[in-house]
Amino acid sequence: MFDAIVIGGRCAGAATAMLLARKGHRVLMVDRSTFPSDVISTHFLWPHGTSYLNRWGLLDRVLATTPSYTELTLEHDGIPLTGGIPEELLRQYFQQLHGDDSGVVRRYCSVRRRVLDKHLVDAAGESGVEVREGFAVEELLTEGSRVVGIRGRTREGTRVEERARIVIGADGRNSFVARTLKLPRFDERLKCTFAYWGYFSGFDAGRAHLLRRGRMGAAIVPTNFGQNMTLVFGPSEWSEAFRRDIPGNFQRALDFVSPEFGERVRTQGQREERLYGTLDQAAFLRPLHGPGWVLVGDAGSFKDQCTATGMTHAFRDAELAASALDGWLSGRQPLDEALKHYEARRRSQSAAAYYDYVCTLAEMKPLRHDELQLFVSLRGNQEESNRFIATHADIAPVSEFFQASNLYLINDAAKESSRGHAIFENFESTSRQYLNNLFAA
Amino acid sequence: MPIQPREDDELIGAILGAADEATRGMKGRSLEEVLATPDARETLRRCATELGAAAREVSEMMRNWASHIPWESMTALGEGPPSASDEDGAVRALWGFLRQELPQVRVDLEEMWRPAHLRRDADPDETYALDKNAYDFYRPVGRNLMQRTEEFHGWVEARRRTETWQYSRVLEASPGSIATITNDVGRRTQGINFNSQDYLSFNAHPAIREAAARALHDYGPHSAGSPMVLGNTRISDALEAELGDLLKMEHLTLFPTGWGAGFGAMVGLVRQEDYVVIDRLAHACLQQGARAATRNVIRYEHLNIEAVRQHLQDIRSRDSRNGILVVTDGLFSVDADWPDLVTLQDICRQYDATLLVDVAHDLGAMGPGGTGVLGMQELLGKVDLVMGAFSKTFSSNGGFLASRSAAVKQYVKMFGGSHMFSNALSPVQTAVVLEATRILRSPEGEVLRGRLFKAIHALRDELTRRGLTCMGSPSPIVPLLIGNEKLARIANRRLFDRGVLAFMVEFPVTPTGSSRFRLQVQAAHEPQDALEAARIIDESITEARAYLSSAFGSGLV
Repeated sequence: MFDAIVIGGRCAGAATAMLLARKGHRVLMVDRSTFPSDVISTHFLWPHGTSYLNRWGLLDRVLATTPSYTELTLEHDGIPLTGGIPEELLRQYFQQLHGDDSGVVRRYCSVRRRVLDKHLVDAAGESGVEVREGFAVEELLTEGSRVVGIRGRTREGTRVEERARIVIGADGRNSFVARTLKLPRFDERLKCTFAYWGYFSGFDAGRAHLLRRGRMGAAIVPTNFGQNMTLVFGPSEWSEAFRRDIPGNFQRALDFVSPEFGERVRTQGQREERLYGTLDQAAFLRPLHGPGWVLVGDAGSFKDQCTATGMTHAFRDAELAASALDGWLSGRQPLDEALKHYEARRRSQSAAAYYDYVCTLAEMKPLRHDELQLFVSLRGNQEESNRFIATHADIAPVSEFFQASNLYLINDAAKESSRGHAIFENFESTSRQYLNNLFAA
Repeated sequence: MPIQPREDDELIGAILGAADEATRGMKGRSLEEVLATPDARETLRRCATELGAAAREVSEMMRNWASHIPWESMTALGEGPPSASDEDGAVRALWGFLRQELPQVRVDLEEMWRPAHLRRDADPDETYALDKNAYDFYRPVGRNLMQRTEEFHGWVEARRRTETWQYSRVLEASPGSIATITNDVGRRTQGINFNSQDYLSFNAHPAIREAAARALHDYGPHSAGSPMVLGNTRISDALEAELGDLLKMEHLTLFPTGWGAGFGAMVGLVRQEDYVVIDRLAHACLQQGARAATRNVIRYEHLNIEAVRQHLQDIRSRDSRNGILVVTDGLFSVDADWPDLVTLQDICRQYDATLLVDVAHDLGAMGPGGTGVLGMQELLGKVDLVMGAFSKTFSSNGGFLASRSAAVKQYVKMFGGSHMFSNALSPVQTAVVLEATRILRSPEGEVLRGRLFKAIHALRDELTRRGLTCMGSPSPIVPLLIGNEKLARIANRRLFDRGVLAFMVEFPVTPTGSSRFRLQVQAAHEPQDALEAARIIDESITEARAYLSSAFGSGLV
C-alpha cells in the first residue's frame, strides 16, 4: 500500500512524486517509457519554470548541459522587442501562488525532453520514489466510485496490482486516467495551431527568438547538443496544405516569418533528425480531482503550444498538488479542503484570463493595427516591455498589463512612432494578403 | 546527412492506407476464407508488414504523446520472420486488429490530424460577440476617421443580436428598488434594481422633488450661461456654502458634471513639466485628465502607499522645481475599497506634493454624518484637494472641487476648461443637490444610511454564503467578481431574463479578465430584495457556466 501512485513520470508526474517523497510519503511512480525518452514538447522553460527546478535543487544539473539566457526577443511583423523577466515580478508570482519566493532565477532555457525528463525521473528515484519504467497501466482499481489503485504490466511483462491512498494522473493531454474515468472537457477552445519543428546545428541563434508574422509564427531557440530547436506554426486550418510538402513548407514558413532566420537555416543549418509535428492542440480543462484521484499538468488543463508554457505549468501544478496532498497525507487538512486550495489556484480569475489570452493567440489571426502599434509603443519602454513579456509567459497577471489606464499610458508615452515601420504604409493590403493560405497550391 | 525516417504524418497515412487495403482485401470473407484465398492472404500479409513497419517508424515523440493509441498492437504486426509453426500469424494478428481496434484507432488518429474546429458548428455571431473585447477596437485602422469605426460597430451589433450588450438600456419609469427597463433591442423586463446609482433613494424623495419643482418655477429649466458669466443663481451660492460646511473646506467650485470636475482640476493645476502620481484604478476622468496635462504620469499599485512614497522620493531626488499631484479615489467604485488617506496626505506633505481625493462614491452615502471616507478617517478640512460628483448620492448631475485656498479656486475656475467653458448646472439640478445635502446631514440622513447599510450587509452576506466573491468592504457598491468576460456576459443575459438588473462591467472599466457585476445598493432596498437577488445571481452564474461549459471561476482573484 502506497501513499500515492503517480501515473506518468515526466514534468508534472516526476516532480509531484519527488516532492511528495521528499515529505516522507511512500510514492510509486510508473511510466510506459524507459528513460531517457522524448515526447512532443515545446522544450521551453520560462524563468518561473527554471526557478521551480532551482527550488528543487535540480537546475544546476540541467543547465550543466543546456544553454540558458536571461534575455529573449519577441518579434511581431518585424517589430522586435527584446527584454527579460524582472526578478521582482518573479518574486511576486511565487509569493502569490506558493507564499514563498525562494530560489528565483531569471534564466530560461530550451531543454530536450530526453535530457530533462531523465533528470526528473532520476531525482524522483533519489528522493525515495519507487520508479517503475516501461510500466503500462491497463486498469484503474476502484472500490465503489473511489479509485484505490492500478493494475498494469511491468517491463518484464508480469501483471501486477498496486494500491494507494491517492492516484495521481500525470499522463498528459491524452491521459489514460481521464479517459478511463470518462472525465468531461470544459472550456474547449477548438481553434489551435499546427506546429512543426526540427533540430538544426551549424549556427548559434544566441538566445530565444519568438516570431510572428500574419497568421504564422516561428521560434528559434538554442537547445542541447549544440542544436537549435526551430519551430514554425500556423492556424490548424492550414495544416492540410502544409502537410503536402513538410520540408519545403517548413522552409517557406520560416522564410515568410523571418527572412533572416530563413536564410540562416537554409545556408548554415543542418537538420539532425526528421521534422516532427502535431495539431493535436485544442485547449480544454478537465475536472482536477475526484474520489481517490487528482490530475496534474496537461491531463487537467491543456493549452496550445504558442506561448510555450506547458512544462512550466506542469511544474507549478506539481508544487501546488504536492503541497496540498502533503497537507492531507500528514493529517493537517481533510483531502477536500486541501484540494480545493489546489483547484482554486488553477481555476483562478488570473488563470482564466491567461487561458483566454493563449486561446485567442492560438487562433493565429493576423496582428491587428492596434496590436502592432502597441509593440511599436513598447520599444524604448523597457520596463513595460519586460512586463509584457512576463504577461505573455503567465508570470505577471494579464489584467495588470491589459488595463485601460496602462495601455493608454504606454501609447501616450511612446518614444517611437509607427513611422519607419514599413508595415504601416500598406497595412490594409498586407493584412488582407495575410489571410491567404501561404501553402495553398 | 543520414537518411531520415519518414515524418509521422506520412507514417500515419501509411498505417491507415495499409489498414484500408487490408479491409478491402477481406471483402466480407471470414478469416478462414481469407486464409484459403491465396491473393487475399498475400495482400493481408503484405499489409501487415507495411502497417507494422510504418508503426515502428513512428517517432518516439509521437508515441509518447499519443499514449491512447495502441501502438504495441500495431508495432507487433509483421515483426520478425514468419514462424514455421504459425505462418499465418501475421494475417491472424492483422485480422484481429482490424476487427477489434481499428475503428477506435481511426477515430482517435483522425481527431489528432484534422483541425477540431472544422468538425463542429458554433454560432459565429455569438462566438464573435463573446471572444472580443472593447480593447480590440481601440486603435482602428485607416485614414478615414468615420469609415474606420465600422469594425467596432459590427462587433457591437453582434453583441446586440446575441443580447450580451449590457450598455444603452432604457428606463421606462423612475428607477426605484424595482425598475422596468428595455434593453437595446427593445425587449422589456422588470427586476430588482441594482443598476441605478441613487444610494439614498433621493430620486423618489418628496422634498427633493419639491425642491426641483420650486427651482423650475422660480428660475426655469435653464441656467443660460457659464458659471463664470451669469450661469449661477443664489441656489449655487447656498450649495457651495452647504457643501463647504459638510467638508470643512471653505472654497468650493461647482462643475456641470463630475467628469468635468475631475478633468478640470487636473488640467487646471498640472502643467507639462509637472508629475501626476495616480492610483491605477482611479476614475477615468482623472486618468484622462492626467494624460491631457502631462506625459509624466506614474500609475501606482492600487492603494499602495509605500509605492507612492517611493515614487515621490525618486521624483524629488532629481526634480525639486516642479509640482507633483498625487491622485486617488476615496471609495473606489470597481473594487469597493479605500486608501489610508492619513498616511497618504502626510507623505505628500513630506515631499511637497499635493493630494487630490475623489469622493464621488462615498460622500453622503457613508461615514459620520455622510462625510464619507474623509470623515471616517477624521480628515475633514485636512486634505489638499477634494473633488466629487453628485450623481451617486445627490440625485443629480454635477460635480465640485473643494479646497481651503481661495487662490486655487480662482485659478481652476479660469484654467480648468470644463468650468469656464461649460454651461452651469441648471437651477433645478442645483436645488436638488442642495436639498439632498441638507437631508443627508439631518437625522433622516442617518436613518437612510442605516437602511442602506442593512441592505448592503444582507446582499454581501448572502452572496458570500453562496460561495461568491464580493470584493472590498461594505459600501453602496458591491462588486461581485466574475473574471471571465464571456461568463459575465452570458450571466448578465440570464439576469435580465430572470428579473435582476445589475451593471456588468468589463474593459475598459476593469482590466481584461476581471469583469464583475457592480451592484449598486439603495436605501429603498429591503433585505428581502437582496436575498432574492443573490439567489438569482448565483443561479444565473451557475447556468451561464453550464451554458459555456466552463470550469473557471471557482478560484481566487
